[in-house]
Amino acid sequence: MSSQQFLLLPPFTFEVRTDIPLVADNLKRLYGNRLVDMVSYPDYFVSVQKAEGIRRFYRPQARFFADQQEPFQPLQQQQAYAMLEWGMNWCIATHEMQYVIIHAAVLAKDNKAILFPAPPGSGKSTLTTWLAFHGWRLLSDEMALIQPHSRTVIPFVRPICLKNNSITLAKQWFPDATYSTVASDTHKGDVIHLSPPESSWQHNKEPAEIVGVVFPNYRSDTEMDIYQLDKTQSFMQLAQNAFNYGVIGHDGFATLCQLIDRVAGFEIFYNDLALVAEFLQQELIDAGG
Amino acid sequence: MQGASWLIALMKDPQLAATVPEQDWVLIIRLLRKQQLLARYSYLFRQVAVFDALPAYARHHLQNAEILARKQFHQVEFEASELVTLLAPLKVTPLFLKGAAYSLALGASIGQGRTYSDIDILVPKEAITSVEQRLALHGYFGEPMTPYDQHYYRQWTHEIPPVRHHSRGTIIDIHHNLVPPVSGRAPDISHFLTHLVTTEQGYQVLALPAMTLHSIIHLLFNEEFKNGFRDLTDLHLLFLQFKQPAQWDALFELATATGFSTELFLACRYCRSILATGLPDDFYQRLERQHGATKNQAILDFAFKRVLAPRHPVTDNWQDKLADTLCWLRGHWLKMPVPILLWHLIVKSSRGLLVAVLGKSYFEPERR
Repeated sequence: MSSQQFLLLPPFTFEVRTDIPLVADNLKRLYGNRLVDMVSYPDYFVSVQKAEGIRRFYRPQARFFADQQEPFQPLQQQQAYAMLEWGMNWCIATHEMQYVIIHAAVLAKDNKAILFPAPPGSGKSTLTTWLAFHGWRLLSDEMALIQPHSRTVIPFVRPICLKNNSITLAKQWFPDATYSTVASDTHKGDVIHLSPPESSWQHNKEPAEIVGVVFPNYRSDTEMDIYQLDKTQSFMQLAQNAFNYGVIGHDGFATLCQLIDRVAGFEIFYNDLALVAEFLQQELIDAGG
Repeated sequence: MQGASWLIALMKDPQLAATVPEQDWVLIIRLLRKQQLLARYSYLFRQVAVFDALPAYARHHLQNAEILARKQFHQVEFEASELVTLLAPLKVTPLFLKGAAYSLALGASIGQGRTYSDIDILVPKEAITSVEQRLALHGYFGEPMTPYDQHYYRQWTHEIPPVRHHSRGTIIDIHHNLVPPVSGRAPDISHFLTHLVTTEQGYQVLALPAMTLHSIIHLLFNEEFKNGFRDLTDLHLLFLQFKQPAQWDALFELATATGFSTELFLACRYCRSILATGLPDDFYQRLERQHGATKNQAILDFAFKRVLAPRHPVTDNWQDKLADTLCWLRGHWLKMPVPILLWHLIVKSSRGLLVAVLGKSYFEPERR
């Protein structure tokens, strides 16, 4: 029953097993030819399986496994695909210690990258989607993998995770893009995954140099307010959004310090995405690097 | 060689890592991760300077685990000093056991790369309530648990339900004995308390022979062997630390005095047969004369050689699963008198039945 395939997601490779057709269908749709039948060196072995017992029939559930480990409680089966995406994030966040990993979206132009670290609800993924489909290269929607002691960020291209109202917006803006089915009523609300443009996939092995850190805050009543952050504020915000900062110790601290020393940090409040893009282009891409 | 055989061969001789075919590392890394042994092997490879010669795939995963283990290694000293300070007003000096003790006392050998999910301490039985209350005052609370399990812990075992620090997530297991009293085999704990040492940093741990015996009891007087191979490598590395004949004598005498010389024999037998651990001949022969002639030895060998091997569901066969069942039954048999065992099995198997029908999460207590 359980089909076994592999996802080539540089810099990592996942073996994925599932007995849930919904998951298999979404994988195929969103990952396209990144989903293959054979690889030599899988890094992680993940699976999403139907829960056993009466839960097969009555309010069906799905369980996620990272090899033999089960890090999450079971979820409703209609949420199984989102669970797989989160599970893959979990694998990287808990095991990968050779990058400084920040909870941030990363977008680049001309290999100059901007980090958008933000807590859920800040509008980060909406901004990410808009930029990714307006000529920016998506490196990551959730995790910035920074090489220690450098400004270099390694792409980890994956589908963008959209929530609630942003689902409607994205579908209005980009009706031809590739979306997963909706996982409704998750702990984040309704969730959908969106495959980034082909150009982002094609360059998923090209690192970029960070030229700016921008903390986005969507405000329906604010067209565009920009505040330049001092180094302490930027550092604290970055450290708070770092997944493995506590574990990797000195290397993490030094990397963030060097980063903050060399690039500008901004906090922006906005409701006009075109203005944001213009600001990023002028202030960080054209000026920076 | 298959993945499991490689794990054994590499523990005996880490130099062999340079000869592992590149493709075999996928299964080796997977088995090591399952056994929580990635970091330990990483350090072994470094000690014999073979690490840098390994393929990038292997180095990548070993090094990730090493970084996590190093963090834990430093964290445990912080947690230990917190506990010592917190319990000082009660005039209680915690005795650190198992993983935490390896880190605190034997950092350079067995502690390095040894990962564990909780910190085990032993305190006097009469102090256990005040210890639990004082830790609760400072943010260590019990995890959600079914009333049956809660009752079972307090009534029959040698520890109380684990407590967890509310922000750091550190889990502390508080013991008053090393073996559940319900088994009728709980030793007079004072036998162990004559084997205390204080580490350079001032933490109380068991001396090497007593620490080794506790590790043996923990492994073999038990019904579950999820990390059987990991625990066997603990014993292997502990035995390698024995330098003087007096330490072997102390181990033998303590095992005899506390009624665990069978377990000592089994531990030595399987360390020798699986990992070729070097043990003094006269010491082992003495044990073999006492215990080696039982008629069940062939069954024990069948079972233990399998539950103590590096295991993973992808490589298991029916004999491995049979061995698990035999050891599970034996462990329960040893640990519980028959009426309590029967009741426990009825509760657990009816639970198993309900889980099969209702799904696993039915019994998960609500998370706070």
